[in-house]
Amino acid sequence: MGEFALSADRLSVKRGGLLALRDVSFEVRAGEVFALLGGNGAGKSTTLLSFLGLLKPEAGEARVLGQSAHDNVAAARKQIAYLPEAATLYPHLSAEENISYFLSLAGLRRDKSAINAALERVALQPAARAQRMERYSKGMRQKVAIALALLREAPILLLDEPTSGLDPIAIDDFNILIGDLARSGSTVLMVTHDVYGACQVASRIGLLRAGELVGVFDAPADGRIDTDAVHAAFAGRAAS
Amino acid sequence: MTVVSSLFRELSFLLRQRAIAGLLVLALLLSSLSISTGLTEIAHQRAAIERMVLADKADRENAMAKAEDWGGAAYSSFHLTYLPPSDLAFAALGQRDLSPWKHRVNLLALEGQIHAADTANPELALAGRIDFAFIVSVLAPLLVILLLHDLRAGERAAGRHDLLIATAGRSGGLWPMRASALVATLAVCLLLPFWVGAALAGTQLAKVLAVSLLVCVHLLFWAAVSYWAGARAAAGSVILTGLVGFWLLLTAILPAITRVSIERAISIPAGGDIVLTQREVVNDAWDLPKNVTMEAFVARHPEWENEAQIDRPFEWKWYYAFQQVGDQSAETLSTSYRQGILERDRAASLAAFVSPPVLIDRTLQGLAGTDTRAALAYETTVRDFHARLRTWLYPKLFLEEPFDRAALSDLPAYQPLVVDE
Amino acid sequence: MRTILLVAADEWRFWRRSRLAMLALGLLLVLVAASATLTALRVANEAEARALLQSEAEETYRSQPDRHPHRMVHYGHYVFRTPPPLAMIDPGVDPVTGQSIFLEGHRQNAAMFADAKTGATAGQLADMSPAVVLSLFAPLLLIAMGYSVMTRERENGTLGPLLAQGVSPLTLIAGKGLALASVAGLTLLPLVLTAAVAISKGETLAATAVFLGSFSLYLLVWCALIIAVSSLSARRASSLTILVVVWILLVLIVPRIAANVAASVAPAQGKIEADFAVLNELRSMGDGHNAADPAFEQLKANLLLQYDVASVEDLPVNFRGIVAETAEADLTAVLNRFAEERMATEVRQVSLLRSFGWISPALALREASMTSAGTGVEAHHKFLRDAEAVRFDFVQGLNRVHAEQLAYADDIKRSSDPEAERRTRVSSENWKVLEDFHFVPPPSDTRVEGALAPLARLGAWFALLFGLVLFSARGLKL
Repeated sequence: MGEFALSADRLSVKRGGLLALRDVSFEVRAGEVFALLGGNGAGKSTTLLSFLGLLKPEAGEARVLGQSAHDNVAAARKQIAYLPEAATLYPHLSAEENISYFLSLAGLRRDKSAINAALERVALQPAARAQRMERYSKGMRQKVAIALALLREAPILLLDEPTSGLDPIAIDDFNILIGDLARSGSTVLMVTHDVYGACQVASRIGLLRAGELVGVFDAPADGRIDTDAVHAAFAGRAAS
Repeated sequence: MTVVSSLFRELSFLLRQRAIAGLLVLALLLSSLSISTGLTEIAHQRAAIERMVLADKADRENAMAKAEDWGGAAYSSFHLTYLPPSDLAFAALGQRDLSPWKHRVNLLALEGQIHAADTANPELALAGRIDFAFIVSVLAPLLVILLLHDLRAGERAAGRHDLLIATAGRSGGLWPMRASALVATLAVCLLLPFWVGAALAGTQLAKVLAVSLLVCVHLLFWAAVSYWAGARAAAGSVILTGLVGFWLLLTAILPAITRVSIERAISIPAGGDIVLTQREVVNDAWDLPKNVTMEAFVARHPEWENEAQIDRPFEWKWYYAFQQVGDQSAETLSTSYRQGILERDRAASLAAFVSPPVLIDRTLQGLAGTDTRAALAYETTVRDFHARLRTWLYPKLFLEEPFDRAALSDLPAYQPLVVDE
Repeated sequence: MRTILLVAADEWRFWRRSRLAMLALGLLLVLVAASATLTALRVANEAEARALLQSEAEETYRSQPDRHPHRMVHYGHYVFRTPPPLAMIDPGVDPVTGQSIFLEGHRQNAAMFADAKTGATAGQLADMSPAVVLSLFAPLLLIAMGYSVMTRERENGTLGPLLAQGVSPLTLIAGKGLALASVAGLTLLPLVLTAAVAISKGETLAATAVFLGSFSLYLLVWCALIIAVSSLSARRASSLTILVVVWILLVLIVPRIAANVAASVAPAQGKIEADFAVLNELRSMGDGHNAADPAFEQLKANLLLQYDVASVEDLPVNFRGIVAETAEADLTAVLNRFAEERMATEVRQVSLLRSFGWISPALALREASMTSAGTGVEAHHKFLRDAEAVRFDFVQGLNRVHAEQLAYADDIKRSSDPEAERRTRVSSENWKVLEDFHFVPPPSDTRVEGALAPLARLGAWFALLFGLVLFSARGLKL
């Protein structure tokens, strides 16, 4: 068990009185990029929040590095950098100020050059860095949030719809970045409804439908996952 | 990272939000305003007392200089009595707008004099004052509510809630930290002007500490309520509506209900009856045989039994005897009038436990000596003083001591009640 | 127009489905109704009780036995201020001023026995007349129900589709405004019923209309303010917070600051302190009890000359009575001058207080309602003046009797000669000249006229906010 960065073990979670996840089991190995694919309300975000210990499982367990996320909340969150969907940081602060505030919340301190390096890495225009974030576009806000996740230097990254609302170039940049991270040993669990994006970056894809994990696709050792097969499964047809 | 440094981090972070900084500045401004107007008002009252003490002395000496007998001297000389404001009165002006804190009495029947009210402009009294007690009891809860209701709901609405929790690690840490930082700063904003005012007024340290503690406890109560409500998974505006409704219930509706019920449950004799009774007895005495009056008088003062014979149509001792009998006749009514006020006050102090704002307001007035009890205690000093004046006068009249203007300087002097000790 | 009604009906459907809105509305309606009933009963009881006390006081006075007339000057008389009909809604200064005055010779007493002194003190907002409930808390209800009228549509993203249907921003806002105004109208209902009772008790139609009109205008000011803030805010949370802060400032804070400012800018001496000056001035005049006071030498000389006699004993009138009459008139002139000064100071303070009505509509409403109901400081001053007129009349009536019906020779011997004393008692028939007193507030026309200035302030507020609403409609952001 110990070798899995994240594992869901027969996980069932209720939200708003209804079962949002039903008996879901899967594992994410250290250093891999795992994508959870599903439509609206399939239970993707619920899975991420379970690993953060923000939701109490009805049955089963969400484990981070082998430990129950719900019982060891602080330990679990220390290992995880989280990128929420449509990440909005504080609009009255600049990118740098937001990052150092959030880092200090996590008990971390990074100097200015490290923050600048991270912002460089996500390709945020230098002119924008000292500006208040209220004027940022959605793509710029997303970049800052990714920079924050990088600076956490946590071994595990949870990404909630990281590419939604980004322009195609930004998506490409993002995919390259995720690949780099995985190669340098980070574990990435991302949820998305973008079939093509998932197939490009993920080494494995789990398919969620109405709270149940209906399938897991592996990338062949030499290449990418077959987009058509995933797409067919996503749409509920048998693979041709 | 230590708790203190996290607290300061959150504080410096929160203070950069315009709405929060604005509310805290408002608290500081209003508290300063209440303290400065409170100090001015008390300075006015002290200056007025000083002027009145001088004018009172001059007027009495003037009257005595013209007196030709004991009775005439007692008739024409008035004595100022007053309740000086305490060293904390600036923070809770209390009943001083409504209950008289000064009377000028002579040796005629006291019941005819003690109910006169020398109060301020009624329409100003109706508008109320912005004293520190008002700021603390009525306004501070609203400020706490405004600062804390949105603590989580605001972050949730902005989509930051989960990220904050995930980043901060322990979910328990961040919100208490932010709430404490806000409430502590609010407490400082409210108390700082008070401390300055207390230093200027020379308030006893024990009272300053007591008030500071009260303010903090009151803030904590509302912080706990707001924090609990803020933890609901509802929109910030819904939480705010609920909290303001709760404030309204505790600050206005419940007090109004208890007030009406107390006033219905505990009846007080009509004040007019006291004065009417006293007037009838005093005026009837002129038509009654003099021994009827003197018998009623001697029943209370047996020591003058042998000197109670009245031979002439007018004698001062008979005149003052019927004044005293007038007071005696109204005694039952007057006592139950004061008793009723005291009982209502006692009931109100019990009822105050259902409403923290009322409890705070009443406690502050109690500490400042500006509550109903202090007003009644002052009235008692006036009654005692009047009794001492009578005790001084009666031997002069009944033993028919020859009039000696110099002896008038031995008249008992009024000793104001000092609430500070 | 049909669209406006549709929008309003839709807003009502939203409220009917919101438990919080229904709870708030129910709570306030109960509050207004309860306070209207309790206050109306209390004021009606008070009015009856005081009218009874008044007629008893007159009865007692008239049934006094034969006496020396000056004894009746000191016996004195009571007048009670009976509350006007609209005091059932706005008792005004009644609880803080004291309701009765003891009238006697040589002095002007202050009103005694204010209710506020004997009341149970329960915090600073426990006094709840319907007027207070309406001016303080009805705006809170309107805020609770109306803060989201526009921000909700904006946040839910329904504003765009609504406008895309061809509904103009102004129509939409008018519909929302109509819905909110109908809530305001609902809270006014208990007031209208009580006002009808007041009319049946003799209040004029004009004063009642102005009275109710000021409350309606006040609530409309709040409706306009709420709509404007809701239209201009981006989010529900901010529109509610802004409105609550504005409410705190306009309703709780500014009126009290105004009172503080008025008291310190135009400070008033207390009565005791002011009386020292009165005493000083009176001391230079003669004592009316002492006909030998040198101050009356001139009067004596004039009288002797007028009747062409050599000594006061030969005068056809009782010199002592004449002295008492003259002294009372002189003394009253001084007392009145000081009383008028005192009232002028109070009026100055009050007009300062009321000028803050430009800043706080709650203050403007209080002025309009108290003035039109006849429960403000002007009405209290009228009571003081009426009482003084009664006092002066009965005292001078008695002094006239003293001068005309008593022999001077008997009068000067009455302390030593029981027979002479008996002859100085005049018939109790003379006490019957005391007139009935029934306090009436200033006439309806005066009250209506007095309420125009605060109504203008409310009108200015409404016009300003209405303009702001129009402005927000023109540039309505999605």
